[in-house]
Amino acid sequence: MNEPATSACSKTRNPFTGVEANAVGVRVDAISKKYDGVTVLKNVTFDVQPGEIFVMMGPSGSGKSVLLRQISGLEYPTSGTVTVDGMDPCLEETRYRVRIGLVFQAGALFNSLSVYDNLALYPREHRSGGEASIREKVMHALRILSLEDAARKFPSELSGGMKKRVSIARSLVMEPQLMLYDEPTSELDPVMSATISEIIATLKNEYSVTSLVVTHDRALALTIANRVGILMAGRLVTLGTADDLRSSTDPRIVDFLNPKIDIEHPRFKKLEAQEKDTS
Amino acid sequence: MKRIVSILEGVGSVVQLLVKSVSYAPTLPRQWARFVEQCYLIGYTTMPIVSILSFFIGTVLALEAGYSMEGFGAKEYIGSLVGLSMARELGPMMTSVLLAGRVGSAITAELASMTVYQEVDALTVMNIPAARMLVLPRLAAILVMMPVLTVIANIVGWFGGAVVARYVSFVGISSESYFAALRHYTKFKDVIYGMEKAEVFGFVVVLVCCNIGLSTRGGPREIGAAVTRGVVVSLILILVLDYFVTKVLM
Amino acid sequence: MNTAQQTARVGLFFLLGVALVWVTFETLSNGKIFAPKSHTIVARFDDLRQLKAGDDVLMAGVKVGSVLKTQLAGHRGEAVLQIDSNIDIASDATATVAMSGLIGGNYVSIGMGTAGLPPLMDGAEIRTVESPDLNTIMAQLGGLGKELQSSLGSFSSAFNGDPKTGGGIMQKLDKLVTENTARINATMENLQQITDKINRGDGTIGRLLNDPKLHDELLATVDEIKSAASQAKELVANAQAVIAQVKSGQGALGTLVYDKKAADDIKASIADLRTVSDKIARGEGTLGKLISDDALYNSAQITLKKADRALDGLNDSGPITAVGIVANALF
Repeated sequence: MNEPATSACSKTRNPFTGVEANAVGVRVDAISKKYDGVTVLKNVTFDVQPGEIFVMMGPSGSGKSVLLRQISGLEYPTSGTVTVDGMDPCLEETRYRVRIGLVFQAGALFNSLSVYDNLALYPREHRSGGEASIREKVMHALRILSLEDAARKFPSELSGGMKKRVSIARSLVMEPQLMLYDEPTSELDPVMSATISEIIATLKNEYSVTSLVVTHDRALALTIANRVGILMAGRLVTLGTADDLRSSTDPRIVDFLNPKIDIEHPRFKKLEAQEKDTS
Repeated sequence: MKRIVSILEGVGSVVQLLVKSVSYAPTLPRQWARFVEQCYLIGYTTMPIVSILSFFIGTVLALEAGYSMEGFGAKEYIGSLVGLSMARELGPMMTSVLLAGRVGSAITAELASMTVYQEVDALTVMNIPAARMLVLPRLAAILVMMPVLTVIANIVGWFGGAVVARYVSFVGISSESYFAALRHYTKFKDVIYGMEKAEVFGFVVVLVCCNIGLSTRGGPREIGAAVTRGVVVSLILILVLDYFVTKVLM
Repeated sequence: MNTAQQTARVGLFFLLGVALVWVTFETLSNGKIFAPKSHTIVARFDDLRQLKAGDDVLMAGVKVGSVLKTQLAGHRGEAVLQIDSNIDIASDATATVAMSGLIGGNYVSIGMGTAGLPPLMDGAEIRTVESPDLNTIMAQLGGLGKELQSSLGSFSSAFNGDPKTGGGIMQKLDKLVTENTARINATMENLQQITDKINRGDGTIGRLLNDPKLHDELLATVDEIKSAASQAKELVANAQAVIAQVKSGQGALGTLVYDKKAADDIKASIADLRTVSDKIARGEGTLGKLISDDALYNSAQITLKKADRALDGLNDSGPITAVGIVANALF
C-alpha cells in the first residue's frame, strides 16, 4: 500500500507539480491563550522553517490543538503574535496568498456532502480548472489514501479512520503550501499510519511543503520530524531534533518518551482524567 | 450588565455578518445550485404548514368577526376585516412565525452543528467564508420565497374566512358579499405592504438564526440550546419589529 | 431527490407565487395597469365630507370609476374622479357626494344628465349638487318639528280666533247668536203673541206650540256645538303635547338616531295627527263638519230667517197652515 502512494506522488502528473510552491515559514512569538480565565498556552515561542517538518508532541490536553487553531488563523492568541510567511493568518488575504491545509483531528468533513464533493469543494469554490481537471485531482487524492471506493459515500457512513483519511485527502486537493496536521495517525491502523508518514515526508521532500504535525504518536514523531517540540500543560518544555530528544536526560522527556504504565501512579490517574475531559 | 454586553455582541455580530454576506452578493450566480436548494427548503417545504395555519387563521377571524359583528348588524364587513387583517398583519406575521419555527430552527441547528463539528473552521481554513457559502444563499432564498409564502397565506386565509362566512349558521353571509366586502376594502397596496413586512421579518429571522448558529461554542449539547435561542430571539424580533415596521410603512 | 427535480419544484413554486400575486392584483385593483385608459373629471364641492381617494364613483348605482385624489381648491374641496374611458358623462350631469351607510364610506353619485348632449372631456369640471349630510338632516328634522308646531298653532288660532281679525269660528258663532238676539227676541215676542192667540183660540195648535220639544231641540243643537268646540280645544292641546315630545326628542339626537322606537313613536303620532287632520279636512266628525261644512252655518241662519218669515206669515194665514209652514221650514 505504501508503494503506489509513493510512486503516485513522484509522478509528474500529481496534483502538486504544476504549482511553484514557495516554502512558507511560520513564526510563533510568545503567544498565550486564555479561555474564560483558564490559561491553555503560556508564552510559547518557536518557528517552523520553510520546508521542514516540525512535530509538536505532548500529552492530551497540553494545548496542542489550540496551538494549531492560532497558527491556522481560526483564532487570535490572547497575547503574542503568529505570522505565516510574514503575514497575519487570520486575514483573508493571507489565505489567498498562502494555501494552508488543516487536517482536523475529527475530520471536520462536510456532512451534507459526499466524500467526492467534500474534496471537490475547494477547487470548485476557487474556480481552479474545469470539472474534468477537478475530477482528476480529486480521484488522484482519493487513490493516494485508498479511498476510491468511498467517493460516493457520505461522511456519516465512514469510520473514524476513513474520515481522517478523507480529511487528509481534502487538504491535499488544496495543493497546500503549509500543512497542519492534528493527530493525523490517531484511529488509523499501523499500515495506514505508515502511509500517512510517507505522504507527509513526500510533501516535504519533493514539494517543499512546510508541515506542522501535532501528535502524541512517538513513533511517527521520531520518524519524520526534522525538529520536535514538546508541549506540556501549555508550556514548551523542549525544542530540538529527534536525536536531541532521544539523548535527553530531562526526566519529563524521558518519562514522556518511555511511558511506564503504572496504574497506581498519580500522574497516570491525572492524565486519564484529562483524557476524559478532552474527549 | 453581562447580559447587555452579550446582547450588544449579538447585534454587532449580526450586523457584521450582514455586511459580509452582502459584500459576497456578486458570487451569488456561481452559487445558483445552493440558492435553489435553499429556496426549496425555505419555500417549497414550508408551504403546506403555512397553508394549513393561514386557512385556520382565516376561519377563526371570520368566526370571531361574525360573532362580534352580529350584535350591530355589520356582518357584511366580515370580508373586509378578514381581507385586511390577513393581508396587512396576520399573513406576513404568521408566515414569519412559522418560518422562525420551521426554517429558523433548521438553519440554526445545521449551522450550529457545522460549527460544533468544526466544519465551519474547515471552510474558513479553505478560504471559503461561511458568510458566502452558508449565509448568502439563505438570505437570497428568503427574499425570493417570502412574498410567495405570504401571498399563499393571504389567499388561503381569505378562502378560510369565506368558508366560515358561508357555512357557519350564525354568520351565514354569502360568498359573494364576503368577497365583495373583501375586494372593496382590501387594496393591492395592502397586499404589497404585507409582503414588505414579511420580507423584513423573514430576512431578520434567517440572518439572526444564521448568526446564532455560527456563534455556537462548545459541544453537541450547545446545538439544542442554540436552536432554542434562535427560535426565541426570532419570535421576539418579529413582534418587536412588527411594531416599528408597521409604523415606518404607514 | 435529484437536483433537477428540486430545481423544477422550486421553479413551479415560484411561478405559483407569481401567478397568485398576479391574481390578487387583478382581483383587488381590477388590473389597473392594463385596464383601458381612463379620463379624469373634476368635481368641486363645498364639503367633501369623508370622501377619500379610492372611493367609488357610481352612475345609477353602477361603478364607473373611482376617486383619484381629493384636494383643496380655493375655498372648496376638489375631488378628481377617474372615470372609465368607455363611460360618457353628459355635460349637464351633476355629481353629489352620497353616503353608502350610517357608518359606511361615501361615494360620488353622478346623475345621467340629458342624453345626446356632448360628453365631458378629460379634465372638465362637472356640475355638483351639495347633498345634505346626516347632521343637516337632523337639523332639518328639528326645523320640521317647529314648523309643525307653528302650523298647529295657527290651526288652534283658527278656532279661538284673533280678536283683531274678527275672530275664529267660536267668535263667529257667538256673533251669529248675538247679532240675531233682537230677531230672536222678536220671534219670541211673536211666538208669545201666537201662544196667546192659541191659548185663546185653537187648542190643537196651542198644544203643538206649547210642546217644549222644539225649543229643547234648538237648545240641544247649541249644546252640541259647544261640546264640539271644547273637543277641538282638547285636540289642539293634545297636538301641542305631541309637539312638545317631538321638541324634546330633537334635543337628544342620539335617541333619535339609535332608538328606533322613539323615531317610530314620532312617526306614529305624526301619522295620527295626519289622520285626524285628514278626517277634519274630509269633514268627518262633529268638528270636521263644523269647520268644513259652511252649510251648517248657512242653514242655521236660513233656519232662523225662515222661522222669522214663518212666524210673520203666521199672522196673516190660518193657524193650521202656519203650523205646517213652521214645521216645513224647520224640519
